[in-house]
Amino acid sequence: MGFIERLNESVKGLKIDSEIEVSPSIEKVLGLLDALLQTKAEIPPVDNALSRFGNPAFVTFYDKAAEMIPELLKPIVPNDSIPEISAYLVESFGNRRRIDYGTGHEANFIAFLLCLEKLGVISSRDYTAAVLRVFVKYMSLMRELQFSYWLEPAGSHGVWGLDDYHFLPFMFGSAQLIDHKYIRPKSIHDPDIIEQFSKSYMYLGCIAFINSVKNTASLRWHSPMLDDISAAKSWAKVNGGMIKMYKAEVLNKLPIMQHFMFGTLIKFEGGSTVENEDEGCGHDHHHSVEVDKDGKEVYAMGQEHPECCGIPIPSAIAAAAAGQSRRPIPFD
Amino acid sequence: MGSSDLDRQIEQLRQCEIITENEVKTLCQKAREILAEESNVQKIDAPVTICGDIHGQFYDLKELFKVGGECPDTNYLFMGDFVDRGFYSVETFLLLLALKVRYPDRITLIRGNHESRQITQVYGFYDECLRKYGSVNVWRYCCEVFDHLALSAIIDNKIFCVHGGLSPSINTIDQIRSIDRKLEVPHDGAMCDLLWSDPDDIEGWGLSPRGAGYLFGGDVVQSFLHNNDLNLIARAHQLVMEGYKLLFNDTIVTVWSAPNYCYRCGNVAAILELNDNLESNYKIFDAAVGVEARGAGLRKRAPDYFL
Repeated sequence: MGFIERLNESVKGLKIDSEIEVSPSIEKVLGLLDALLQTKAEIPPVDNALSRFGNPAFVTFYDKAAEMIPELLKPIVPNDSIPEISAYLVESFGNRRRIDYGTGHEANFIAFLLCLEKLGVISSRDYTAAVLRVFVKYMSLMRELQFSYWLEPAGSHGVWGLDDYHFLPFMFGSAQLIDHKYIRPKSIHDPDIIEQFSKSYMYLGCIAFINSVKNTASLRWHSPMLDDISAAKSWAKVNGGMIKMYKAEVLNKLPIMQHFMFGTLIKFEGGSTVENEDEGCGHDHHHSVEVDKDGKEVYAMGQEHPECCGIPIPSAIAAAAAGQSRRPIPFD
Repeated sequence: MGSSDLDRQIEQLRQCEIITENEVKTLCQKAREILAEESNVQKIDAPVTICGDIHGQFYDLKELFKVGGECPDTNYLFMGDFVDRGFYSVETFLLLLALKVRYPDRITLIRGNHESRQITQVYGFYDECLRKYGSVNVWRYCCEVFDHLALSAIIDNKIFCVHGGLSPSINTIDQIRSIDRKLEVPHDGAMCDLLWSDPDDIEGWGLSPRGAGYLFGGDVVQSFLHNNDLNLIARAHQLVMEGYKLLFNDTIVTVWSAPNYCYRCGNVAAILELNDNLESNYKIFDAAVGVEARGAGLRKRAPDYFL
């Protein structure tokens, strides 16, 4: 979270197209994203008749990206960190099986950037470029993927959340608009301002995108949270609120963080306590091991170490993670 | 609570108006009594119309009733996920509950993975209750009702209905009957699997990317149908562009009843009508139009984070 806040600080009051210093490392990362954009362009959506919703071409893209990324990372990061970093980057495009995307996947992209910082590939001088160039390019890639491949909103909160897919462009975007002379939070309702400034300011770019996709109703109806936020007094307030909300609604929410991968670069620290209703967890603490027809033990994700609610995740997992490049935390 | 009182509440809810907290308390008490008597695998006689996820899309539920017929003229089975994500989880769930209390043999409600304390605290129902009632009591009462909902249903002993899917711990319907269901949805085990699993293009069982439940293939469905002398599994839980989707040689169908999900998916919704002879007829419907004007301005202030 500290990393995200530092990134957030670095873009206060800045337009996307501001003149900023772009280091060679950042250039390389941009090149990597460009290569992926190119790849995406070469994988058009396929006939969707057999699919439930998402387009199977996404799987093709995902697999190609997973193949390309370790190679593309070679000039950027040390070899032994490539497996971990690749994992974060590939996960930041969505879930391969479910063909969906949500704020958890977005968080993986930040994890990717954080790894680059931990390895010294980027430094605090690169923060502004990391957001205004790299993250913005990631957003444009994601929009392409969402639009063409019909990615399902993963774990969307519907009208009770900010957006079906993203959070950070709203956070960084609100930082950008702090102290703007005339664009106010309520300006998101002004189509002229959106049209003029959506390319310069992420927040407005998001609104423009949402309006173009959710075109059966007005913003007030399909995105009441964004509508409510537009009543805030200043972008500084909006930005502050975004940070609080991100902590509470993304980082502190089990359905998202249960999927987050920990490894040697981003370590899992401490236990986890699940907030339960005062009545007690009401869980059935009775576990049995399931076997399939071959007698092989079958586990759902994370159930290799079945624990009950409220019990801290054993540090053995963090230790074991050091020996593997990816290790999901158990579903609890 | 008199029948006329209940009728009045039903009329109110049909107008998308909430009933008082005390009325909710009484309604939930009554509902629990009725639901407690139901089996984990509730028996239903055809004809009946099967519905999938609603997710608080109240006006689309009204569309559903227009297309399928009003309750109790039509018998209904709702396969869970009444709440979360939409605007009107409260009105949606309370209407269905009131109909259940009024016409217990005409409508069956089974539990979805969203009928859970943990999930509703994340995906909107909790927030909605707080906003509309100013306290969490209604949420608590509803969660207690959730705990009593049946886990599945069986129609004429031939069609098995469940929200999510199958479980590696369950081979027979009888095994489902022996589950103790009156509790919060566990994080693993048979009860969790029934509400969380998904069919998938694999053989046997697989890890679920959801982090709960499993993926299961056509062979698993085949065995289950065979072992239990069934014709079909009907389930919901997954968004379907065309409203419904048959898989594995028509042995399992996903029915999804929330049109234009999240206002962006552009999907249609479906219901599955079964006649006396268990013949299927799928009806498709679109999202309700012109509902904007009816939206009660319940959120006029900036969310707490932003004050």
